[in-house]
Amino acid sequence: MLRFATPLFFLLVGIVSLIATLNLPKATIGNANGPLYFPLLISIILIVSSIVYFFQEWKLRGIEFKDFKLLKEGKAPRYLILSLIMMLIYTFLFERIGFLYSTIIFLGGLMFLLNGWKKWLLNISIAVIFSFITWYSFAVLLQVSLP
Amino acid sequence: MRRILLICSLFIVCILAACSSGGSGSGKEFPSKNIELIAPASPGGGWDATARAIQKIMIDEGLDDQNINVVNKPGGNGEVGWNYLKSKDAHNMAMTSSLLITNELLGTSQINYADLTPLAILTTEWVALAVPEKSPYENVDDLMKAIKKDPSSFSVGISPGLGSNHHLAFVRAAKEYGVDVKDVNFLIYESGGDSVTSLLGAHVDVALHTVSTFSEQHNAGNLNILAVTSDERLEELPDVPTWTEEGVDMVFPHWRGVVGPPDMTDEEIAYWDKTLSTMVETNGWKNLLKNNEWSELYMNHAETMDFLEEQHSMYDELLKDSGLTK
Amino acid sequence: MGLDTEFIVEGFKVAMQPHNLFWIALGGFLGTVVGMLPGLGPATAIALLIPITFGMDPTSALILMASIYYGAMYGGSRSSILLNTPGDGSAIAATFDGYPMAQKGQAGQALAISAIASLIGGLIAVVGFILLAKPLASFAIRFGPAEYFLLMIFTLSAIVALAQGAMVKGFIAMAVGLLISTVGIDLQTGVYRFTGGNPNLAEGIDFLVVIIGIYAVGEVLYNYLTIDRPLGEKKSVGKKWITKEQWNRTKWPMLRNGPIGFFVGVLPGAGGAIASMLSYSFEKQLSKKPEEFGEGAIEGLAAPESSNNAASVGAFIPMLSLGIPGSGTTAVILGAIVMLGLKPGPLLFENHPDMVWTFINSMFIGNIFLVILNIALVGMLVKVLDTPPKVLYPLILLLAFIGTFTLNYNMTDFFLLIIFGLLGLVMKLLRFPVAPLILAVIVGSEMEQNFRMSIVKNDSFLGIITESPITITLAIMTVLSLGYPLLTNWLRNRKLEKNIDRQQ
Repeated sequence: MLRFATPLFFLLVGIVSLIATLNLPKATIGNANGPLYFPLLISIILIVSSIVYFFQEWKLRGIEFKDFKLLKEGKAPRYLILSLIMMLIYTFLFERIGFLYSTIIFLGGLMFLLNGWKKWLLNISIAVIFSFITWYSFAVLLQVSLP
Repeated sequence: MRRILLICSLFIVCILAACSSGGSGSGKEFPSKNIELIAPASPGGGWDATARAIQKIMIDEGLDDQNINVVNKPGGNGEVGWNYLKSKDAHNMAMTSSLLITNELLGTSQINYADLTPLAILTTEWVALAVPEKSPYENVDDLMKAIKKDPSSFSVGISPGLGSNHHLAFVRAAKEYGVDVKDVNFLIYESGGDSVTSLLGAHVDVALHTVSTFSEQHNAGNLNILAVTSDERLEELPDVPTWTEEGVDMVFPHWRGVVGPPDMTDEEIAYWDKTLSTMVETNGWKNLLKNNEWSELYMNHAETMDFLEEQHSMYDELLKDSGLTK
Repeated sequence: MGLDTEFIVEGFKVAMQPHNLFWIALGGFLGTVVGMLPGLGPATAIALLIPITFGMDPTSALILMASIYYGAMYGGSRSSILLNTPGDGSAIAATFDGYPMAQKGQAGQALAISAIASLIGGLIAVVGFILLAKPLASFAIRFGPAEYFLLMIFTLSAIVALAQGAMVKGFIAMAVGLLISTVGIDLQTGVYRFTGGNPNLAEGIDFLVVIIGIYAVGEVLYNYLTIDRPLGEKKSVGKKWITKEQWNRTKWPMLRNGPIGFFVGVLPGAGGAIASMLSYSFEKQLSKKPEEFGEGAIEGLAAPESSNNAASVGAFIPMLSLGIPGSGTTAVILGAIVMLGLKPGPLLFENHPDMVWTFINSMFIGNIFLVILNIALVGMLVKVLDTPPKVLYPLILLLAFIGTFTLNYNMTDFFLLIIFGLLGLVMKLLRFPVAPLILAVIVGSEMEQNFRMSIVKNDSFLGIITESPITITLAIMTVLSLGYPLLTNWLRNRKLEKNIDRQQ
């Protein structure tokens, strides 16, 4: 059931971090276990709160779980997945082909995704003009070293 | 409206094309294109500020035939920047410090200083050892002897991390007195400012940081610098003895320099020896040193290579003494 | 320092000189702009401007940089209110009620009140600066590791307690935030934790990446879900000026949270994020209608706005009088004015009183200039809401990526940004409180390091709590902040049950 996915997910995060914490290297200076205390404490807080959360949700198990419904509505899944892929491509291209070109591609891609092919002129001009404006203000005016 | 937009975008595309077509020439005299000076830190840090100051001085004084750009590559205590430099040509160089050596010794980086081409040491700061105003100790001799007696009752404030020069300068001095540093409590603060707070609030018994961090508070009488690691007394602190005067054979610089990519030609190295040695003589540079309370220390490529070799073995030993490495 | 009227007047005259007025205006304007952009905060903006200040007179340079700093406090809340995407840690609290106000069609009023609150907070803090700089500086240094540790616990508990009824979710969010903050080198021992060998993670995950990811990217992704729904009636931006009733509701919150922000700002390392969050939860606890908080209560916007601007002024006290920067931004400013040959520290007030007073008076003028600028901009800024969402959201994503790039210049942060964007989306869908997570990321590593340093001196947890009167006070306040909402909830439930019993 989807309702239990979140508490179980956080429980898993807690357990993974607990195991990772216990496998941390020992410190060679000062208290050897020093680096462990804090993450250990947090992992336990996370595990305990996830269990409490699980039981809170358990009480509600009969009621329909609506929180994720929006994700499946209309074009939402398409928008989400494609823009995530575009963000990953942007991350991949950013340093390889430079800021300006990758940004034009990224911004253009998002514009086409949301506005469709019919508004191609608006999409392209916004992608090009805003990429150029941001490039100019960051690289030239602010002297940020962009790739 | 549409047509205007179209024309605008075409226009911009043309400009872009023009920008990118300015290729790099080859076979000309060095340097044949813009120099990139890598600051392996974010804007606002000491490395970035020094790099931008060098950039300004070089341009103002017309020392370099080409333009200079500062590029920020922060991360991993400089490692990200030096790794980036490794794959670049001779038109790039990076700011550096003893971290280039200690990172490798601590095992957090694979880059050895000899993998790159150390070009010059440009300046140095000195490390000060200070105690709170109300501390019972008035000289390092009394202090270190007391620490030797009961090391675990002392807390020593260090920033910005273990293995930093401020930490290792203490380790080195402690060794001379036979103190077991593994029993001393080190409190690690994030920045020099935090170290000052810890002394003013007497949250630590001793703290070490660069001289300039403590000197104002020392002159105001809010804390007490007991010794500096320079070879002779400093102008701004005439009342503070050096470690050598106190009978400890220790001169410990906290230097900054520049390093180039691997495999530079003799011609390229000679170019930087000439340019950088002129730069450190300019008024702009001297002013920078004065305002930051940095000291003059210039070494050319050959001297730097010898110096780093010496530093490498010194740090190796100190890190082992400190217990950070085996 | 004493109150030297002569220097105050002289300083005022210098600050009024045309070139200094120009720097105040330029800095204020730049600060407002960078404050609005996600990621590009005042620290980055000032750092990038340092080369420009090389040739300047130190006093003017300080005036310019300071006005960028508090200008960003004004600007930071603009994007919080309009787009639910805060530009910086200190602007997060402005999203709690500012964004709901904008959604209710009160964007203009929200922008106006936040500017007014910033002005009042700023002015209170400048007066505080003049009267209390020296004693406060010596109070601030009494904050040792134990005191900081408890201050951070108190702030976190106050924020978790805000999530009334959903405290478990608050605790989970906090724990996740704290876990994120443990990534990187452990300062006390030099051990690398959870970095997976990536050198870009050695210095930890930048809290701004988390903020931009969860708010800016998360908000855009969330809005994608409903972007195709027909817009109902066009959202009105409402009046541009506040009503008398709104003024009456906010005047006390603004006045009492200015001093709170100022005192928190004076503590090195605390800063605007803690100040504004504390003010928000303080005001909610005091309010007779706490249920309106988070739904667009105007005092829930005014209080943190007054507080964070006051904190930015307060942060200059330890910087100028002790040479200790209290925040990332003041650290950058300190570095810059040292390069100009000025030595902030205990002797600054004695050696350069003219400069100090010019600077203080410039903050008076700067705050007044900024409130005028920001109110004048209200009309223009609310137009952002008129931009079609399908154009606006791609642009926000672009700004989020560039803002992230300027933090650390590496691609690891881009991946993190995407991950936190997804996390933000899921948290919004599940109605998880975001503030505990963000605040935990901001204070987490400091909290741990202070905890570790304080156990070196005290062997037990009890020893830390009883170390000084300050720690005891903070510990009591922590217990109260967690206990109070539980108590009121319990009382309310009991009342309800009684009523039900009676009806039956």
